[in-house]
Amino acid sequence: MTQLRISGGAVYDPANGVDGDVCDVCIADGRIVASLPDGAPRLDARGMVVMPGGIDIHAHIASSSVNQGRRLLPEEHTVDPAPAPALVEGEARSGTGGTIPSTFTTGYRYAGLGYTTVFDAAVAAAGARDTHAQLDDTPVIDAGFFVLMGNDAYLLRQIAAGERDRARDYAAWLLGATGAYAIKVVNPGGVEGWKRNVRQVQSLDDPAPANGVTPRAILETLADAAHVLRLPHPVHIHCNNLGLPGNVATTLESMRALAGRPAHFTHLQFHAYAGGKGKAWASGATQIAEYVNAHPEVTGDVGQVMFGDATTVTADGAVEYLLHASSGRKWVNVDVELETGCGVVPYTYRDRAAVASLQWVVGLELFLLSADPWRMVLSTDHPNGGTFMSYPELIRLLMDRTWRDERLKGINQKLLAGSALADGLAREYTLGEIAIITRAGPARQLGLARKGHLGVGADADVTIYSRNANIAEMFATPRYVLKDGVLVVEEGQLRRAPAGRRLHVRPGYDAAVTRDLERWFDRYGTVSFANYPVAGVRDAAVEAPAISR
Amino acid sequence: MSTAASSTQHVTCLGCGCSCDDIEIVVRDGRIAEARGACALGVAWFGDGVVPTEIRSAGQSVTLDHALAEAAAMLTGARRVLVYLAPDISCDAQRAAMAIADKLHAVVDSVSSATVAAGILAAQRRGRVAATFTEVRNRADLLVYWAVDPARRYPRFSERYGEGAESPLLAAGRTVIAVDVGNRHGPDSAAERVAFADTDEARAIHALRAHVAGRALGDAAGDVMPRAVQLADRIAAAHYPVIVYDAEPDGDEPVPARAESLTALAQALNARGRCSLCALRAGGNRAGAEAVLTWQTGYPMTVDFSRGAPRYRPDDTATTLLRRGDVDVLLCVGNPSVVRGVESGGVRRIIIGPRASAAMPAAEISVDTGIAGIHAGGVAFRMDDVPLPLRPPLSGPLDPAAVLASLAARVRA
Repeated sequence: MTQLRISGGAVYDPANGVDGDVCDVCIADGRIVASLPDGAPRLDARGMVVMPGGIDIHAHIASSSVNQGRRLLPEEHTVDPAPAPALVEGEARSGTGGTIPSTFTTGYRYAGLGYTTVFDAAVAAAGARDTHAQLDDTPVIDAGFFVLMGNDAYLLRQIAAGERDRARDYAAWLLGATGAYAIKVVNPGGVEGWKRNVRQVQSLDDPAPANGVTPRAILETLADAAHVLRLPHPVHIHCNNLGLPGNVATTLESMRALAGRPAHFTHLQFHAYAGGKGKAWASGATQIAEYVNAHPEVTGDVGQVMFGDATTVTADGAVEYLLHASSGRKWVNVDVELETGCGVVPYTYRDRAAVASLQWVVGLELFLLSADPWRMVLSTDHPNGGTFMSYPELIRLLMDRTWRDERLKGINQKLLAGSALADGLAREYTLGEIAIITRAGPARQLGLARKGHLGVGADADVTIYSRNANIAEMFATPRYVLKDGVLVVEEGQLRRAPAGRRLHVRPGYDAAVTRDLERWFDRYGTVSFANYPVAGVRDAAVEAPAISR
Repeated sequence: MSTAASSTQHVTCLGCGCSCDDIEIVVRDGRIAEARGACALGVAWFGDGVVPTEIRSAGQSVTLDHALAEAAAMLTGARRVLVYLAPDISCDAQRAAMAIADKLHAVVDSVSSATVAAGILAAQRRGRVAATFTEVRNRADLLVYWAVDPARRYPRFSERYGEGAESPLLAAGRTVIAVDVGNRHGPDSAAERVAFADTDEARAIHALRAHVAGRALGDAAGDVMPRAVQLADRIAAAHYPVIVYDAEPDGDEPVPARAESLTALAQALNARGRCSLCALRAGGNRAGAEAVLTWQTGYPMTVDFSRGAPRYRPDDTATTLLRRGDVDVLLCVGNPSVVRGVESGGVRRIIIGPRASAAMPAAEISVDTGIAGIHAGGVAFRMDDVPLPLRPPLSGPLDPAAVLASLAARVRA
């Protein structure tokens, strides 16, 4: 039995009400246990900060779209070679970094940052095999993905026919067939619209983009499906009109459409802009924060923009065309299998640019105005708003008002008049709150009962930081990281890189849907129905959670 | 005595990049008796499924253990190794080969650098606009075959993905335009055709693009202009035009400028309407090699690990390195018979793959394995990057992924 006692550290375990108390964390065979014999091996964490391993609820790390992005960026990889780390066990692999690191490097860098669980937020069902293979080459982290459904032609057809039970059966089948963890909606109806050259969704009741099926009907159907199927994570929504001025109205309309239903709204920063139609862009963060604060069924992640290089990778093809046309940067578009889209455009957020500065402010406002950190968690929509390597800097901005205000002074002020941040937001996140938005909160939103906390029975994914007056430095270089009780980072160096687990679900459905699907594949498809499901997804499916949301 | 026939359905054919996955393979007496649904090219690719199962070192039959020990010694002692990902292996085997290359600080390349490098480099400069084949089948109301008749080298493309594939979403049917460039003609059955001389092709595409962008070219495009304008207007009037070209034409060298100028044209057509560009690719899971290389290193071809991390060397292709004598050991993984450009005077060779023992001249060490999709399972990528499972109808020959994993465990960095 492998045992370890992490002793004397200040433990931040918000799910169990522990907020910086000095206490021991006991590990046996990869799980947290109540106690260990006195002679058990000991890791001296005196003076250090102990947290559960980080959980990224929304990133793009392992999909065919991500690989399109990698292929597009040799100039980034060239300046960021990543030699194989010096592991004490197992074979290490080299790779490259940049905004979209290669797979092995992605696993190593997340682990080096103290993150032990990551979800890819947008996988085309037809490309699920690609994602599993990429994740097989992404070590250390436990990983899962959300499968794209909001523009799937079969699903839209069921909705149009009023067959919502059939739509739900399809969603259940598709989750199991692809080995996915949750239902993802990207620009509901709007991606289908882009393929039909209807480039913008006018409202939630606009039937034009998806040939008669409204975004509202798509959102309702999939939110209900996730709920009825008792999926661990509710429907994960990227709203219509991403990145457009005035889109806060669309976002609020989407939230109201699902009022009372559990729903996760992702990268809200990109959906919280006021203005438009002759008016200048402005922050709409206050409106979003007020709505979320008042509606406990809603959760979100921020999608913070960080200044510097990023790569936009999204299923939202229409928005990528606009970004390409306005920035002049190179552009990938792939229309995928009557299921979804794919767009990639490299992008640089400059603090001298008015819109990028506004985006930076909107994100911070969402963090600082959200009353409940459990329901507004940290993301940069990696690599869209910035890479996961920028999380430590983002944490510093949240914890250190002096630093934040200094940065605020140095950015383009053109669109900031009247914004809450420009008017002064005093809030500083505590370490306990950081533990919520990077660990406990995502775990609860994802329904991961064994993650994001250090209670008995939890996976022994633990990150230990040396205290440092510079918060960014502290979070950038954890002293120790444990994954399932294995010391993967020691003294700040990656030392072991075991394979991670696959997190996926397999809900039940009425088998009649498969007979209908067989006909559908014959009439419309180009892959044999029998060849579509991914066989042999590793690790057992995650059961519906016992904990309440 | 004849044993009962068995059949395997939904088999994926890697005879060309179409990767048709609707083939039924009938096996009788341990041989493929029939490849139902396959085209002539596919039937030839499956053959009777009988492959050599030799393991040879210095001309002698040896055990696998012996061959791998010698291969490991040769690789470990080499000055510089080239790992070459040849066709007919799965992504699983490609991944295993990459692990060896990384460990040995070797150079890795695949057939892509000899065939589609111009397209890859163009896509890295500009990006791309593409559609997977279910989109083409159901949305393409106009197919423009640019200097290619798919019937020749991609026999079922039209039937499965193009004009021969029905879609209830295309009630009004679809139109096919053939663009003949020099002696490379589009399909004879095309409803309309436009012809350009070889020497006019680049000018014609630029004229098309200028017209799409609303720029008047005046006399600059000369007599090409009227045809270009007419073609551009036809494409722009379609709902979802797809331009199809052959990214790997056999025979003469590919036209380097074609991929880039067609990409630019297809992108420009998206300013007001929609348009996708379809690059036809040959078989054996070539797109898979690019995908694996990309996710493991960030680069789709010609990767040099010699400094301990991947570096992109698009000018130092396998062909160039071998010609210059810059490597002393070649580890060829996959089917050596379809590799072009990898001649290897003076370079010691290890071949692990289908028909390795049949390579001419014979390699120092050869391990015959099964063929991906016929004897070995795993995943392969269709030419539109859609990943497909392999359902091998035969078993028996060695699985290249397992052989490579075993070799990887033996080589020392």
